[in-house]
Amino acid sequence: MFRHVVQWVVWKDLLTEFRSRETLSSMLFFALIVIFIFSFSFSMNQQAAQELIAGIIWVAFAFTGMIGLGKSFSAELQNDCLEYLQGSPAAKGAIYAGKVAANFMFMLIVEIILFPLFVIFFNLDVIEQISLLLLIFFLATFGLSAVGTLFSALTVQIRAREVMLPILLLPLVVPVMIAAVEATKGALNGDPLPMYQQWLELLAIFNVVFTVVSFWLFDFIIDA
Amino acid sequence: MPAIRVQDLSHSYGHYQVLRQVTLEISQGTCYTLLGANGSGKTTLLRILATLLRPTSGRIEILGRDGVTDKTLIRRSLLFLAHGSHLYEELNALENLQFALALRGLFPTPRQLKLVLDRVGIGAFASMKVRHYSAGMKKRLSFAKAMLAAPDILLLDEPFTALDHSGVELVQDYIREVLNRNGTILMSTHDPEKARVVSQQVGLLRQGTLHPWTWRQKDAS
Repeated sequence: MFRHVVQWVVWKDLLTEFRSRETLSSMLFFALIVIFIFSFSFSMNQQAAQELIAGIIWVAFAFTGMIGLGKSFSAELQNDCLEYLQGSPAAKGAIYAGKVAANFMFMLIVEIILFPLFVIFFNLDVIEQISLLLLIFFLATFGLSAVGTLFSALTVQIRAREVMLPILLLPLVVPVMIAAVEATKGALNGDPLPMYQQWLELLAIFNVVFTVVSFWLFDFIIDA
Repeated sequence: MPAIRVQDLSHSYGHYQVLRQVTLEISQGTCYTLLGANGSGKTTLLRILATLLRPTSGRIEILGRDGVTDKTLIRRSLLFLAHGSHLYEELNALENLQFALALRGLFPTPRQLKLVLDRVGIGAFASMKVRHYSAGMKKRLSFAKAMLAAPDILLLDEPFTALDHSGVELVQDYIREVLNRNGTILMSTHDPEKARVVSQQVGLLRQGTLHPWTWRQKDAS
């Protein structure tokens, strides 16, 4: 039953998005603007761009993700669908897991589309490090979606939810952002893995701890 | 054992008290109609019984289960058709039914889905996105969900709103069918004439207080 509910929530969110293209298009549009602004800002100074690129990538990914996370539960307000989720006998943890999986996929799709643009605009050499970079993206994006999904549910009933979500979420995901930036910087510089392995470990630990806590808290939040 | 038991139930939104010491018992196989003006607390009472709202004070029992501690068990045996349709606009009727029922652990066959959509009169629009549906079609689709879910207790908030004559008859027939299989229905309505055909008990909510009524009293008023 748990697995079925997870699958159906993912299916519903992906199908809804595939048809409306509301979330992905706004995420992509925002991210493209960020890339263009940064690429023009650093066009005269490639040295500075190389040093800051990891931070720029994660600023773009995190704020783009925030758009998708914000829509994850606000979309359920139409026709009071959130009420049906709350009142259904399905395990609330399964609904949370489904939402996390769908948000993770949306964010990863946008990142996979955007990263080649970063490579082109900032002249990055990533061929040898691509598998490590993908691992970093995977871990950090999962952390963002695990915590972000919980806070999306927490803020959905608040009138100023678009403002409250980043205010509440960003301080909490600072460890993910720092670890992601440091690990990405190490990989892009071609450093040996042991030099930034601790950041990957931090990401993995963050994911385990915050996923378990969020999974447990979701039941209370969705019922409140 | 009554299907629904409410004891001294009160509920407030901030300083505004919506329900005052409501006490109510509904036996299995009975349809109870809740009348009352706008803001009298009908939807709040239904939402509390659907375990969506926690009452400020008092106690509810659904099929002998406590409304606060046994929520999951209650939710398995109860379905709330609210004023909002609980439908996803980008999905079609079949997909909406599949998703809603999957959350209840039910997986109807395509044939069962088609039959029930035909019965509620929207079989020809099964593949159309719900965002193109009229309010009446959405209401019919909600009843299709109830027919497939077959809950022991059905809570209906304004079930006749937006329905044409055939839609009203469809809902009345469905209510009779639920009662025949010993199901229990509590509905709120502004349209007592449509409800009295199928309803055995009636109560009037006035300023948060429930007054048990009879249809004869209603006629006299």
